[in-house]
Amino acid sequence: MTRPVYQKGLIYLALLAVMVFFMGPILWFWALALRSSASAFASPPQLLFQPTLDAFIYTFVNPGANASQLRSSLIVALGATLLNLPFSITAAYSMSRFRMRAKQFLMMWYISLLMAPPIVFLIPYFLIMSQLKLRGTYVAMILIAQTITIPLSVWLLKSFFDDVPVDIEEAAQVDGANWYQALTRITLPLTVPGIIVTSMFAFVFTWNNVVFPLILSNQSTATLPVGTLNYFATTGVTWNYIAATAVVAMIPPMIIFLALGRYIVRGLTFGAVKG
Amino acid sequence: MVSLFKSRRMLPYLLILPSIVALASLIIYPMLFSLVNSFQNWNLQTSAVPMGFVGLQNYQLVFTTTPFPDALRNTLIISIAGTFVEFWFGMGVALLLNSRLKGVSVARALLIMPTTIAPIVAGFLFRYMYYEQGGLITWVLTQIGFPVPPQGLLGNANTALGAVALADIWEWTPFFAIVLFAGLLAIPEDIVEAATVDGASGLRMFAWITLPSVSRTAIIVIMIRFMQLFNMFDLVLVLTRGGPGTASRTLSYNLYQEGLVNYNIGVAAAMTWLIVIIVTVLINMYARVAFRNWEW
Repeated sequence: MTRPVYQKGLIYLALLAVMVFFMGPILWFWALALRSSASAFASPPQLLFQPTLDAFIYTFVNPGANASQLRSSLIVALGATLLNLPFSITAAYSMSRFRMRAKQFLMMWYISLLMAPPIVFLIPYFLIMSQLKLRGTYVAMILIAQTITIPLSVWLLKSFFDDVPVDIEEAAQVDGANWYQALTRITLPLTVPGIIVTSMFAFVFTWNNVVFPLILSNQSTATLPVGTLNYFATTGVTWNYIAATAVVAMIPPMIIFLALGRYIVRGLTFGAVKG
Repeated sequence: MVSLFKSRRMLPYLLILPSIVALASLIIYPMLFSLVNSFQNWNLQTSAVPMGFVGLQNYQLVFTTTPFPDALRNTLIISIAGTFVEFWFGMGVALLLNSRLKGVSVARALLIMPTTIAPIVAGFLFRYMYYEQGGLITWVLTQIGFPVPPQGLLGNANTALGAVALADIWEWTPFFAIVLFAGLLAIPEDIVEAATVDGASGLRMFAWITLPSVSRTAIIVIMIRFMQLFNMFDLVLVLTRGGPGTASRTLSYNLYQEGLVNYNIGVAAAMTWLIVIIVTVLINMYARVAFRNWEW
């Protein structure tokens, strides 16, 4: 389709406005992390400034209170992702391959957990983890994260298992393989990309979660989002530190989403839209 | 899906069992805990254990001692308005991307960035820009003559909820844009051409070809997003803490305030069940529409 030049121009202009609207706030916050605290609230706002790494050095190097939070975030997100895989791979395979009376009900049950407000579980978890002396541990955060990661992964992985033609497995069975051999030698290898994509989403969902670490972590196990909130509790001058911490918290999900490419649609819709 | 291994009747259930047991053990306890304590008088600041059965009193206190009706109203407003704006704004952006001009793929890849950010961080982005003194949004609005209230957009009861909604619209419009754009790409070229030959263009093309083609996708993402908006907490925590007064208090924030700030475990437990009932009804309503004729 060919368009007149003026029409192309208008579309580019509109796209430019859209990009400024959506990327502007991110860049403005990155700029905050690189500013001196004096120019953070200058009025009129300063587009040009002398960049400094002071905020990053303070938060992650010296004294570097947030460096251990970066480690905690990694431990919790990786732990939650790895723990969820055996549960969700088996469930998703079953949901994809077998006919079951309760299938629709169970799939709806999983997705309703994803859509339930996490706050309703918060108070009981807070109290029970205190009683079990697990509050403040990574174990508590990784366990509770499963309420998000397992339902997400079951839905997402089922869509990837659905993509593998059932005929291949049937052929393997005709050749004498049992269902387990067919699964581990044929279907699972074909689903590896799907498992990787699912793991990336489970990682991002856990990484970006703040409510569970907010009540289940302590000073030494706090994750990065909790770290940003800690600077927020004290007033005034710490905006540069919030920004530096938040910028570091933003980067892993951004890189993962850039790598995910066309799988973004599928992941964000829990496999319901294949994209 | 064709069913395999018909003889192994228990196998499919054995494979699901671990996930069901894991999730149920994480969910049943909190639910029972809330049910039991919703009938107990219990403030954690005065007692480490429940202080006696009070019948349905907590359910009454939800309405008399917390701004539950206000929170419900705010939640409905922000969920409906937020989903509406995000969907149509996202549709507009998707149509721009669908122009398939050079450079669009780069725009598409970058556009999703707001959605990748943790909601709590998105909250900080906007809190910073909303500052009364030197905040970027405040400054821009003042320059174009918009009367920004002296307490800032977040500090004014008339604008606080809208300001929270704007942060959410910023974060989640790209989600709609990217998903709808994928739907637009899937529309077969010959259908568009046939409609063009028949003289359809502009709005009519959109109403009769484009919109119906993406309706299935649209319904699912609208459902997902509505529920996420309905549960909104992180943004409120950073931007307004539900204020000023109760102007931007959502159901989730109201529950947090009662349970983890005031430590009224009994009243919070009753509120938990009220919210669970509302959410269950909503999810069922949506799921029925979104997954109608779904191939499981």
